[in-house]
Amino acid sequence: MDYTITTVAWIVLLPFFAFVINAFIVKKVPNVAVGISCAAIFGSFLLSGRIFFDFVFGKYSADYHVHKVFNWFDLNGGGQEFVMKMGIYIDNMTAMMLFMVTGVAFLIHIFSTYYMKEDTRYGRFFVYMSLFTSAMLGLVLSDNLISFFIFWELMGFCSYSLIGFYYEKEDAGNANIKAFMTTRIGDVFFLLGILAIYFQVGSFTFVDIYAAISSGMFTDATVTIFGFGLPLALIASLAIFMGTIGKSAQFPLQVWLPDAMMGPTPCSALIHAATMVAAGVYLSLRMFPLYEIHPFMLPFIATIGGITALGAATIALVQTDFKAVLAYSTISQLGYMVLGVGVGAYNAAFMHLITHAIFKACLFLAAGSVIHSLHDHHTHQHVQEMPRMGGLKNKMKFTWFAMWCCTFAIAGVPFFSGFVSKDRILGDALVMAMHNPYYWFPATLGFIGALLTAFYMCRMMFLAFHGEPRDKDLYDHIHEEKFSWNRNLPLLILALFTLGVWFSGSLTGQKLVKVASDKVEWFDTLIVKPKTENFKNYQKQNWGPVDIKSTISFPVSKYDSNHGLSEEEAHHVHSVHSIGAIASIIIAFSGIFIAFMMYIRKSWNPGWWVNTFSTWYRALQNKYYFDDMYIKGIIQKGLIPVNNFLAWVDMGIYDKYAIDGWEKVNRCAFTVSKWFDNIFVDTIAVDGTGASVRAFNVILRTFQSGKIQFYIIMIILVLSSYIWSLA
Amino acid sequence: MNSMYPFLFLSFFMFVIGLGVMIARKNIIAMLLGIELILNASALNFVTYTRFVNQNLDGHIMSLFIIIIAAAEAAVGLAIVIRFFQVRESIHIDDAAQLQA
Repeated sequence: MDYTITTVAWIVLLPFFAFVINAFIVKKVPNVAVGISCAAIFGSFLLSGRIFFDFVFGKYSADYHVHKVFNWFDLNGGGQEFVMKMGIYIDNMTAMMLFMVTGVAFLIHIFSTYYMKEDTRYGRFFVYMSLFTSAMLGLVLSDNLISFFIFWELMGFCSYSLIGFYYEKEDAGNANIKAFMTTRIGDVFFLLGILAIYFQVGSFTFVDIYAAISSGMFTDATVTIFGFGLPLALIASLAIFMGTIGKSAQFPLQVWLPDAMMGPTPCSALIHAATMVAAGVYLSLRMFPLYEIHPFMLPFIATIGGITALGAATIALVQTDFKAVLAYSTISQLGYMVLGVGVGAYNAAFMHLITHAIFKACLFLAAGSVIHSLHDHHTHQHVQEMPRMGGLKNKMKFTWFAMWCCTFAIAGVPFFSGFVSKDRILGDALVMAMHNPYYWFPATLGFIGALLTAFYMCRMMFLAFHGEPRDKDLYDHIHEEKFSWNRNLPLLILALFTLGVWFSGSLTGQKLVKVASDKVEWFDTLIVKPKTENFKNYQKQNWGPVDIKSTISFPVSKYDSNHGLSEEEAHHVHSVHSIGAIASIIIAFSGIFIAFMMYIRKSWNPGWWVNTFSTWYRALQNKYYFDDMYIKGIIQKGLIPVNNFLAWVDMGIYDKYAIDGWEKVNRCAFTVSKWFDNIFVDTIAVDGTGASVRAFNVILRTFQSGKIQFYIIMIILVLSSYIWSLA
Repeated sequence: MNSMYPFLFLSFFMFVIGLGVMIARKNIIAMLLGIELILNASALNFVTYTRFVNQNLDGHIMSLFIIIIAAAEAAVGLAIVIRFFQVRESIHIDDAAQLQA
């Protein structure tokens, strides 16, 4: 089957046109707008599915990719030619991302028709969702950093709009500004990083960057900042990684994501859990060859990831808000992905991105299902507080079931997807730690985080769904959950894909459990680090029909259980992975066990921990004082004085002397010109003309008496004088 | 009757009398009569010159035209005078100094 370029472009354009159309009709007919949005995303889903199956089952080559470019604009000037090229780049990673994003987004659209039904701005929600989906798909398809950045910012805008969706609430208004400003810090650095790369490579395209890396353009390049010559590879990759830190809510810019839970729950599921935050990790994976150059970079990334994974997990321990637990678990899981990037587990990090997107979307939708049912009849608010829940299992069977599947996945219970991907990351972290002792630090953080993840997720489940209902009145008002297509079906479909078997046949992706067929290891086979040396002498394909059966032949990839290592090394790696897997299983089950003892058996009292470690408890409740530090430290001590100083410069100097001084100069000039105007122009020129005309008029008027006989006499006189002169 | 001068003198007197009537009289109808005299004087002049100088019929044709124009002019002039009298209730020429009613 041949592709035309339009087929690929429609993946982005369908949701975008849905956005454009809906933006105009949304107020009049919200139901039609919802229909258009859902149909558009379903169309994108089908097109992406076609690409996905072509790439994953058709080509079976890790190197296979389609890259098409067209000239966006070209500027010629000063003898230099600047051609800005845009294009699409599809490889296996893109194909999987497209399929995941459209699939998850479609299910979330379906769920939103249930969740947002009674909302006054039902249609507007879908407008933003369509724009967001289109931006995310455009980002995934981008072949260069500039269009990547454009879509990246577009998603930032949608995130802003959706966090502040309930703009009547002051909290929501503050939260969206906070999210927007915090991610902006990262984005500024990201843009700087893009420019740093451009000045070295002369192109924004990923393949050109890979080619430049393989030709050693970055190895010795330095950039001078304040007189210090720093390696360009380090500066550029740090700057670009700042984009990831902002967008993927990594330490220390993680503060925006919990507040982003102010938005409607389906948008939290799509944007702040499944896709947009994963875009940061996707960027890291795309730029991975750049990160590898400088030896400082990967340990740094791993450290950031480890700190985020553990720190967010600890904060999640004490949260009582249903969605807040999920928000912190999102940050924590994103930390694992970044840790995976940092330890060079390219495949595992991407796999965790995909599996996390699925189970976290499901968790958030299930949370939405719970919150939507808990309606306080006194305050007319939905209830999110876990202390008022309990025993919900009896009322909502389907939600309970789906949520347990996802909880097992995120906690790392064997045979669930989260176990496969997270364990690979942790296993690779252990392998790295064997080579480089520094990696013990992030690896340890990751393992402790895994224990806490299992604990807090089960704590949330036990508190919400099990035990006795703690708010009897609230509990009695809940309607029994009946199966409905737009509430439960998305949950169950997503829950189905939390099974590990979809992603890997073996338990750990390694030799711990032998796989039946190598074909089952499709994920491992098809996603490999981009080999930069392949991109030397790379010929760009011009914009035209996308031929999926490209003339360029790519070697068919085979599953290599040794991952390109020698037999001896591979054996070592496998043994380390096995230890890691066993440790992960023990950790997951002990986390679940602790939660069980605390919240079901109630043999261990959580209050004892709170009292004993009260300092820590307060620190966790205050999110390690990060918000306080940013507000009191950076904003109040740093930014506001700077702001005041700038205001003083502006008001006290610029305004007072330049603006007001200029006003005085103008006032003098005004006086002079007013005098000139009055005397010369007005009195002499304008009035003088009038007066002279009036005076002449007095003379002339006597001739124009209107007396005909006078005229006749004059005519006779004039004629006579003519005749006289002629004679 | 072989000299043209008597005719020219008659024509001249008619013209001068007409002009005098037009200048001196304040009655509009009298002024119209003066115009008639002037027109007739000119017609007589044409006929005189064509009879004694050109010796063809051009002057006669011209005087016929003048008579026709005089008739039309008298009709229009009298109509204006009647209308003027309706508006101003006067046929004094000095009352027509203003165009505005």
